[in-house]
Formats: sequence, structure tokens, C-alpha cells
Amino acid sequence: MTALIVVEAVAIGLLGLLVAGLLRSHAEILRRLHELGAGVGTGEEAAPPRFRVAAGVPAPGGTPAPDAADIAGVTPFDEAVAVRVAGAEQHTLLAFLSSGCTTCAGFWRAFADGPALPPATRLVVVTKGPDQESESALRRLTPAGVPVVMSSAAWDDYGVPGSPYVVYVDGPSGRVAGEGAATSWPQVASLLSQAVADSGGQDRRGGGRGGRGRRQRGRPEAGLGDAAREARADRELRAAGIHPGHPSLYPEAGGDAEGAA
Amino acid sequence: MRIAHHGISADVPPGWEARIYRRTDDEPGATTAPVLHAATFALPEERGDFGGGAVELMGPGDAFVALVGYDAAVAGTPLFARQGLPRRPRSSSFARNKLQHVIPGQGGSQFFFTAAGRGWCLYVVLGSYDDRDALLARVYAVLVTIVLDGDSVVVPEVPDVLR
Repeated sequence: MTALIVVEAVAIGLLGLLVAGLLRSHAEILRRLHELGAGVGTGEEAAPPRFRVAAGVPAPGGTPAPDAADIAGVTPFDEAVAVRVAGAEQHTLLAFLSSGCTTCAGFWRAFADGPALPPATRLVVVTKGPDQESESALRRLTPAGVPVVMSSAAWDDYGVPGSPYVVYVDGPSGRVAGEGAATSWPQVASLLSQAVADSGGQDRRGGGRGGRGRRQRGRPEAGLGDAAREARADRELRAAGIHPGHPSLYPEAGGDAEGAA
Repeated sequence: MRIAHHGISADVPPGWEARIYRRTDDEPGATTAPVLHAATFALPEERGDFGGGAVELMGPGDAFVALVGYDAAVAGTPLFARQGLPRRPRSSSFARNKLQHVIPGQGGSQFFFTAAGRGWCLYVVLGSYDDRDALLARVYAVLVTIVLDGDSVVVPEVPDVLR
């Protein structure tokens, strides 16, 4: 009798362990489903699925495009100026230059010659404020028709590490579409042209020269090559039934993909 | 964004950009009084005091404001008899033919007044005369923030709807 009770107790204990394991497994499945956006009745936005790339592929930066800031300062010609950048109908190419740096000289010359800009793009040169720049030197360098704003605050707002540095702002969205250091204007122009072409825009050279031309409305996606391309790729992959974690995205992992549906 | 120079200051609302400058006296016959330009579009570098070169670029949803200073000698004269900057000009004051450069579809008006010890002209151009009430609401958002040195006009609060 005692032996029967012991066997029964052991069996109940094993069954309890089995049930606990099943519950834990069930909870894990629900958690994964929730991460994939399949939560029901929670009333909360599901967190985006965890993203991972195959071995050997650099992970993308996790920082979203930062907001652009309008620019306020003075000009070398004793003017106060406030330039609208965020929310503007046109895009803005901010060129952070100085009057003294050797590399900047090429940019000043290129801007004086009338740089070819992407459609609906306004060029604005931004230097440090009057306490760190030579107004007389800038008066000599200022290209006709190009606004030059002296504003140390703008350098801080855009986190400019040094000159020359260019920032391309998508006007309608008010987001920084691209930025970086460059050694020459042709290098920047080439990258801009390529980005616009990739995004489906038409590179009508000269259309946005120096900010003096008539504004070209429309094509708000112009200049957003990476974002537009990524969104299109996502749409097409989803339409083909390939979601995050799909085995086909991890050929070297043999299809044992985390979060596979 | 707040900008201040040459005795004029203004809080530039979102969606606007502005310049404050003073004509240099090396231009024969030019006034050395200050000028403010504010616009809902990208201001070109070369503009006339009353917006020549800029108003041609306006779209129907745009507005342009020029505040042009005159010499102190004209302050209080009949043309400049009005005291203080008109901050809420009535839409009935606007017309298609009150423009320095008549452009089809646009409307405008100008107001002469005395403030800060000198004469001034406020010149407003609306991209669409038909939409003048809506565009004027945007213009008010700029005008109520302008302060002229020595101007005793009390700046009213900007209604939230205009911010």
C-alpha cells in the first residue's frame, strides 16, 4: 500500500513537472508571437521584431534620421537672418565651411561657379559665428546668390565635427536625409546625384542653382534614396511571404532562424 | 527663432524665414533705415526693399512681409500720421492692385505709420487674394511678435491657433 502511494506521488510529481514545462513553453510561444505583432487584446503596440543579420554582415546603425533645425544667425553683410530648413517645401543642402580651411576653398570656388544641385534644393552655407570667423574674409568669399549664415549654434545643432561638412535635409519631412565630410564639391555632387537617381528622381542639373531659381514643387521623395529603397524592398518581401526571420534570409544558418513563423 | 538687429526684433514662427538688414549709405539716394523681410518661402539673396525679386517666387499659399524704415524727419507727417505698427490689418484693406509688382492672383496692401521715432511702411503681399483671410492669419503670427526699439506698442499674446 505504501509503495503504491509512493509510486502515485512520484507520478503526480512528474506530471506536475510536465505541466509546468508545457506552461513555460506556452508562455515562451506567446511572448515570441507578441514580439512579432500577433498579440491579442493587450491594447498596446507590439514591439518591433528583433532584428539580426547573417554572420559577416555589418549591422545597420540603430539611430533614426535626426530632426533638422532651422538656422538663425547673421550674415557677413551685417544682416540678421532666420533660414527655414525643417518643413520647407524645398530640400536644403547645408554646407558647413570656414573661411580659413584649405579644403573649404574648393567648395567656395565651386559655389561661386554655380553648383549643380538636385531638383528643388537650396544651398545654404553655414559658418561659425562672428566671434570665430572673419566677416571681411567671408564677404570676399560669399558667392552671388548663395545665403551665408554665421551661426555657431547651427554647428552645435547639427553636431558638425569640422569643416567642410555637408548635411542634406529633406524639407517636407524635416529630417536629415544624409550628412558627412567630403574633400571636394564634385564628390558631394556625385553622391547627391546618385542618391536622387536611386530614389527615382530626375537629376535636372541646374534646377536648384544657388537657391535663386524658382522653387520646384513636388517630388517630396527626391533625395530620400535609402529610405525609399528600403521601404520598397520591405513591401516586396512581405508580398512574397518573406517576413523577418524567414529561413531564406539566413542561408548559412541552415534555416534555423530565430523567430521563424 | 528670434532674430534682432538694427532696432528690429521678431520671433519668426515655424514656417517662416526672415532677414533684417540696413541699406548701406554708399548707394546714392538709398535710405540707411532698417528693413525686415519675412516670408513663408525661401527668400532669394537679391531682393528689393519691397520684395522685388522675391514676390515673383511666391506660390498661392505664400505670404511676404516687408517692414521698411524711413528717415526720422518724416515721423508724424500726414502720410505717417498713424501711430504704431498695424498688427492685424483687415482683409478689406487688401486688393489685387495694391501691389508694387502686379502679379495675377496675388493681393497686397501697405500701411504707413510712425514708431520708434521714425516713419515706417508695412507692405504685405499675399500669394492668393482669394485666400486672403487664411493667409492673413499667418501674417498676424509674424506681426504680433515684431518689436521696434522705442516702440511703446504692447505686444499681444499670439493665439495658439496662429502658432
